Amino acid sequence: MSAPSSYKQKLEGRMPPAWAREIDVFETQIELRKQGRIVEKLFAETRLRRGVYGQRYDNGQRHDGFTTQQLKFPQAELTKGPNTLWDAPGMQRIKIPFGKLSAEQLDVMAELAEEYSDSILHVTTRQDIQLHFIHIEDTPDLMRRLAAVNITTREACGNSVRNVTACPYAGVCSTESFDVNPYANAFTYYFLGHDDVQNFGRKFKVAFSGCKDNPCALTNFHDLGAIARTRTVDGKLQRGFEVYVGGGLGAVPFPAKLIDDFVPEDELLPLSQAVCRVFARLGEKENRSRARIKFLVKKLGVEEFKRLVLEEKTKLRPDERWTAYLKDLAVTEERPLRPGAALPPGPYPAGFEKWRATNLKPQSQDGYFVVIMTLPLGDLTSQQARAVSNLARRFTGDTLRTTVDQNLLFRWVSGADVVALYEELVKLGLGTAGADSITDVTSCPGTDTCKLGISSSRGLAGELRQRLSVVEEKLTPAAKALHIKCSGCFNACGQHHVADIGFLGVSRNVNGRRVPHFQLVVGGQWTENAGAYGLAIGAVPSKNVPEAVSRLTARFEKDKLESESFQKFINRVGKKEVRTLIEDLLEVPTYDQDPSFYSDWGDPREYTVDDMGVGECAGEVVPFVQMGLAASEREVFEAQLLLDQGNVEQAARRAFSAMLQAARALTKERNQNLGEDPDEIVNEFRTHLVDTELFKDPYQGKVFANYLFRAHKEGLDHSSKESAHQLIEEAQLFVDAAHQCYTRIGSAMP
Amino acid sequence: MEAKKLQVKFFLEQTSVKLEAIVPVFHAWIREHKLGSEMLVDVADYAHVPNGPGVVLIGDASDYYLDLGDGRPGLLYSRKRYGDADPVLRVEDALRRALNACRLLESEESLSPRFRFRTDEVLLRANDRLRAENTDAGFAAARPALEAALTKLYGKLPKLERVGSPSELLTVKVTAAGAADVKSLLDRLGGAPS
Repeated sequence: MSAPSSYKQKLEGRMPPAWAREIDVFETQIELRKQGRIVEKLFAETRLRRGVYGQRYDNGQRHDGFTTQQLKFPQAELTKGPNTLWDAPGMQRIKIPFGKLSAEQLDVMAELAEEYSDSILHVTTRQDIQLHFIHIEDTPDLMRRLAAVNITTREACGNSVRNVTACPYAGVCSTESFDVNPYANAFTYYFLGHDDVQNFGRKFKVAFSGCKDNPCALTNFHDLGAIARTRTVDGKLQRGFEVYVGGGLGAVPFPAKLIDDFVPEDELLPLSQAVCRVFARLGEKENRSRARIKFLVKKLGVEEFKRLVLEEKTKLRPDERWTAYLKDLAVTEERPLRPGAALPPGPYPAGFEKWRATNLKPQSQDGYFVVIMTLPLGDLTSQQARAVSNLARRFTGDTLRTTVDQNLLFRWVSGADVVALYEELVKLGLGTAGADSITDVTSCPGTDTCKLGISSSRGLAGELRQRLSVVEEKLTPAAKALHIKCSGCFNACGQHHVADIGFLGVSRNVNGRRVPHFQLVVGGQWTENAGAYGLAIGAVPSKNVPEAVSRLTARFEKDKLESESFQKFINRVGKKEVRTLIEDLLEVPTYDQDPSFYSDWGDPREYTVDDMGVGECAGEVVPFVQMGLAASEREVFEAQLLLDQGNVEQAARRAFSAMLQAARALTKERNQNLGEDPDEIVNEFRTHLVDTELFKDPYQGKVFANYLFRAHKEGLDHSSKESAHQLIEEAQLFVDAAHQCYTRIGSAMP
Repeated sequence: MEAKKLQVKFFLEQTSVKLEAIVPVFHAWIREHKLGSEMLVDVADYAHVPNGPGVVLIGDASDYYLDLGDGRPGLLYSRKRYGDADPVLRVEDALRRALNACRLLESEESLSPRFRFRTDEVLLRANDRLRAENTDAGFAAARPALEAALTKLYGKLPKLERVGSPSELLTVKVTAAGAADVKSLLDRLGGAPS
C-alpha cells in the first residue's frame, strides 16, 4: 500500500465526519474564491468563521521606517476579503474550549506551528491558541490535523459564539460552587454551528466561573457570563447559574448586567438560546461599533431585555440536548496518574521556593497541585510544547489548561512529583517564577501582527517584564501582586481595563512626527471576576512607560494602607495625584534631542500609524440567508465534481442537498425553528414561499419550485449519469431562482 | 525526496548573540531588498522565548531565522512555498539561500562582534511530516538528493547522520571537516540568488 499523498487521505476516518465534511467544504470555497465564484466579502466571513484571520500588511503595504513600500505578493489581483491579499500571511485561531488540552492535542499543535507557522504557539487572553504567518491554502490540512485530535476552528472568529472560556481551576478549586467544566463543554458543542448563532451583528463571548470572587474566568466583561451557584429546595441541593449579559471591554467597556440570579442547570441552554435569538433579531447590524449585545442591553434596559428573552424562550422548539448532557456530567472529569501525596520536605533545588510561592497551587483534592508554566507574552515553542506534552503524560495523566493570563498549567500533579516536574520545567526554560504577579505581563498581539494595532503592546509588555524581573526581588508582596495588562489599541484584547495598571496604545503628533504612546489606565479590578473598570489618566510616550510603572509601584509601596488594594489606593489618593506623579513623563523630547521616542518598543523603524488596516475582529455581516444560498451554490459545484469523478449517486444526493439548502435558507427567515429534516423543509418552503407566491418566477411560474418538489417526491434513485446530470442542472436553476427570490423579497424579509 | 519544504541551519561560531542587534538588520534587508527578488514581509521578534526561533525575517516563499534552537545560535533558512520540482535543485537552492544570508550577516558591520558561521556542520530538515518522516526509511528516501547537493557544495561527500526522534522533523546532521568558508561555498552553488 502506498503512503498517503494528502492529509485528507491519511486522516480519513479519524476525523468526526461532520467536521471532515466542513473542512472539505472550506477547501472547495477556497477553490471557488480562486476562480472568482464567491464574492470577497462572503469569502471573508466564511474564512473568519473558520478562524482564518488576516494580519498586518495583508493589504500589500508596509511602512519601512522611511516610506510605504508595496509588498509584491505573487497573486496581486486575488483577495481573500476586502483589501486583503490572498498570499499575505495570516493568523489561524484555534479554539480551545475552556482551555482544556490533551497531550496529544498539544503535540499536534506543535507540529502545525513548525510546519505552517514560525514554530511559536501563542496563548491568547481567551484561552485560544493562535498561529501566525500562515498561508490560507495551508489551512484545510491544518484543520484536518486538528480535527483528527478533536479540535475544530469553527467559529473561532466571525460573528458567532467564540471560544467558551472557563476558570482553568474548575474541578480542582476550593472556592467553586461546583465544577463548571461539563456545562462549558455542553454549551460549546450545543451552540457550535447552531442556526441561532449565525445571524449576529457581532461576536458573542461566553465565560463560565465556578465562583464569584476570583478573577479566573472574568465573567463580568463577557457577552454572557455564568457563575456557578447552588441552592437548597425542599431539602435537595440544586445546581444553577447566576447569569449575566451585556458585558464587554473594547472602546466602550460595559459591566455585565444580571439577568437572573439563579438559572437552574436544566434551563441554562434554552435561556442562552433565547438570549442569542433576541440578540440576532434586535442587535445592531449596520453600525459595527455598536453591534455587540452590550449596546442592545443598554438600549432596551436589562428588564426589557429579560422580558424579551423569556418570551422568546417560550417559542423555542424543545431540544433534548438541553438536558441530555446532565446525565453525564463526568464527561469532562479527569483522573490523576499518580496517588496524591504531600510535598516532600526540603532541601529543594535552587529557585524552587520562589517558584513555589507563585506557580504552585494546592488543589481541593488532598495531595494534588496545580503547576503553572509562566509563558513570556503567551509564547511557547514547538519544541517546548512537545516536551510539555511528555511531562503531562509522565506526571498528570494528560491534563493541561490554557489560562486567560496567557499561561499553561498542569493539574493533578502529585505532591511527590512537584520537585521533579519543576526541575524538568527549568530545563525547558519554563520554570520561571512569577505567575499571576507583576512580572507576568499580558498583552494582545498589537502592532506585531494585528491590523488594528496602534502601538507595540507586545514590545512594551516584553520590556516591562524584563525590567520588572530585575527589580522584582526588592518589591513588597503587595507590589509583586499587581497585574499589568497591555492592549495595542482601544479594542482592549489585552484586557487593560481590569488590570491594576493597564495600557492601551495610542499615537500622538509631536511637531509633525508621530510618537507611540500608551494611555495609562488605573483603578481596574481584577478580582470578583473583573469587578470594575479603570479609566485612562494620561497618554504616556511609550519609552516613558517603564518609568511611569516604576513611580506608580514605588508610590503604592510607600503610601498604601495596610491590606489596601491598588484599586482602593488609587481611589483614595485620587487620579489627579496619580497624574501629577507622572506629569513630567508625558512630555516628548524633540526628535533631535532623542529620536528613540519616535520608534516603538522592539521595532527600530520610525513610528507610523500608516500600517493600520481594517480590523477583522468584527467579521463581515452576512445574513444567514446569504450564507445558506452560498452554501447551496457550493454544493451544486461539488455535485458537478462528483459527477465528473463518476460518483453518480453522491452527485445526485449533493444536488438535492443544494436545493434543500437554498429552500431552507429562504424559509428559515420565516420559521426560526425550522430543522434539517427534508420533509419539514419542503413542507415549510411550500407553505411560506410557494403558496404565498413569493417564490413564483415572473416568467417561469412554479417551474423551479417544482424541481425541488419532484426530487423530494421521487427520491434519489438516479442510477444513470444522465438523470444525475439533469438533477444537477435543475439544482442550479433552483438555486439561481432562490437568489432571484431573495433579491425580489430581501428587503421585505421579516 | 518528496518534501518541498526544506530547512537549512548553519551555526554561528559564537555561542551567544544579542538578538536585539539582529532586528534592525532584518528590517534593513526588507527596506533595501537585500535578498534580491525574494518577497519579504516583516520581522518577528521572539527574543523573550528561551532557545526559541529568535528573530524571524518573514517572507512569502521563505523565512530566515536567527535561530536559538537547542541553545545553538545560527542562521536557519526555511523554504515554505514554490520549491523546485527537482529534489536535488531544491536542496541546492535551500543551501544557497542560507549561505547567502550567512554571507550578508558576516558582512554586517553593525554586528559586534562580527558574525562568523561554521561551515563544517549543517543541519538539514524536511519541514513536512507527511512526505518525510524522521525514520530510517524517510532518511533513505531523502538521502540521494541530499548527497548529490552536498557533494556539489563540499566537493566530496560529507558525513550524513539522521538525528532526533520520529516525533520531530526529519533532521540530518551534516559534518564536513575542513570545509571552505561561507563565500567559497556560496560561489560553488552559483553565488547570491537573483
